[in-house]
Amino acid sequence: MPSDDTIYAYAVGRTRALEKRLLEKSQIERMIEASSAEDVIKVLSESDYANALADLTDIYDFEKVLQSELQKSLELIKSISPKPELIALMALRYDVHNLKVIFKAKYLGIKSDLIVPAGTIAAPRLQSAVDEEDFRDLPDRLRKACEMITEGFPVSRDPQLIDINLDQALFEQLLHDAKRLNNAYMEGLFSRQVDLINLKTLVRVKRMGLDREFLKKALISGGFLAHDRLTVFIDEPLESLITGLSMSQYSELAAEGIRDWIDKGTASRLEKLADDYITGYLKKGKWSPFGVEPLIGYLWAKEIEIKNIRLLMVGKINKLPSEAIRERIRDVYI
Amino acid sequence: MEIRVNPTRMELNRLKKRLKMAERGHKLLKDKRDELIRQFLILVRKNKELREHIEKELSAAFAKFLLARAVMPAETMEEALMYPTRRLSLQITKQNIMSVYAPKMQWDEEEAAEGEGASIYPYGFADTSAELDTSIETLSGILPSLLELAEVEKSVQLLAEEIEKTRRRVNALEYVLIPKLQETSRYITMKLDENERGALTRLMKIKDVVRSKM
Repeated sequence: MPSDDTIYAYAVGRTRALEKRLLEKSQIERMIEASSAEDVIKVLSESDYANALADLTDIYDFEKVLQSELQKSLELIKSISPKPELIALMALRYDVHNLKVIFKAKYLGIKSDLIVPAGTIAAPRLQSAVDEEDFRDLPDRLRKACEMITEGFPVSRDPQLIDINLDQALFEQLLHDAKRLNNAYMEGLFSRQVDLINLKTLVRVKRMGLDREFLKKALISGGFLAHDRLTVFIDEPLESLITGLSMSQYSELAAEGIRDWIDKGTASRLEKLADDYITGYLKKGKWSPFGVEPLIGYLWAKEIEIKNIRLLMVGKINKLPSEAIRERIRDVYI
Repeated sequence: MEIRVNPTRMELNRLKKRLKMAERGHKLLKDKRDELIRQFLILVRKNKELREHIEKELSAAFAKFLLARAVMPAETMEEALMYPTRRLSLQITKQNIMSVYAPKMQWDEEEAAEGEGASIYPYGFADTSAELDTSIETLSGILPSLLELAEVEKSVQLLAEEIEKTRRRVNALEYVLIPKLQETSRYITMKLDENERGALTRLMKIKDVVRSKM
């Protein structure tokens, strides 16, 4: 394979065309002001979602449409990308989700229909791996996490362990692969995601009243912010976290989001800002003509878009005030 | 309507006994009713308090839950809550409130996870929203109150039924049986008196006849 990045020329071109079909700010705005979920659907019918929504008989089924849309874009981008293994990283999350579901279902002795078909490894294969406790097919880090769970869970029976172990393994794997594939851009993306998750985890653990030991276990490694730096704040007031982060790249986000969390007791602002921060990071790569960046950016944009639509649908079905929806709507990528 | 009886002294005695019994029963039932109502009012007040408290907490928890749901995909949400960390064992026994058997609940919240430090939150932090935490926390705190409410509400219901039954009995005694008995015994007394007067007149008449023949 030529190391020359021009191999991306076609894929980037296609992505540009796809970007045009993403929802625009004005469309989102119209949906926020819509009076009902049906009206949201109406606005969506004028967009790229028209086809998928045509089969929608019950508005409560919107979740399926969103899921299949996300999967479609993932597959499309994978098929046009000259290096599908990079795109596959974006789908590894779903494998981890499926693993969590399979593990929990196994230990509960039930069958679960929560499997998401978007993963890189087919669900039946994951299922048999868990059943036979043979994780050879899984990526290295995930394999280790799975082994830890099969050993640890029967003893502790703490479902949180499953989630925490797998989440950590996921990001370790992602960072490892990004490094192996020599892609600093994606490495940066994952590290930032880790940081933002850790920040949120810190505040959440603090709110739950749990101790430093627990936080240490819950933090994910691979971020720019060292764990030692974060764990200090568990015993200090949240305000000091804001000052502590003021020299980092997350200063603005921390100042606004954490301040909001302290004042209103809700993390919605921080969560929105965290997503916007990632969007902002990915936007920088948007105009690179010869790289994987626009593809990753597009996938993220699609994810955010779907998050927004979900928020709008759930909000409108349950008649949340427009303001409550607006303050949670994520910035769009375009 | 009166009770059809033979106007005899024996019947009168029986009636008097019944009347006494009825009055005693009436008094007892009345006392029972008053006590039931007193208990009922206490429970109703408690019920109202609990209900208001729970409704407030629950609606707050649901609002948070909704927001968490709005920013998380359905599968992720379900996965996060799939495996509960707490198990509740519930035992229902009876308690006797004025011979009404109301349920008495005893519950034990067990940690399903045996390892120490297992929290009430059964999920990881990476892809769950922090708004879920608050809602889980409220819901978990509210469970004992919910069980208590169930107990109190059922007791109130059973008591209300019992009060209705007792009140009907009291009224039946007070307005039907007792007046009827009184009426009948008066009737017998009057009939007996009448007979006596008849006998007396007859005697006097006979006495007159006998005297005039002498």
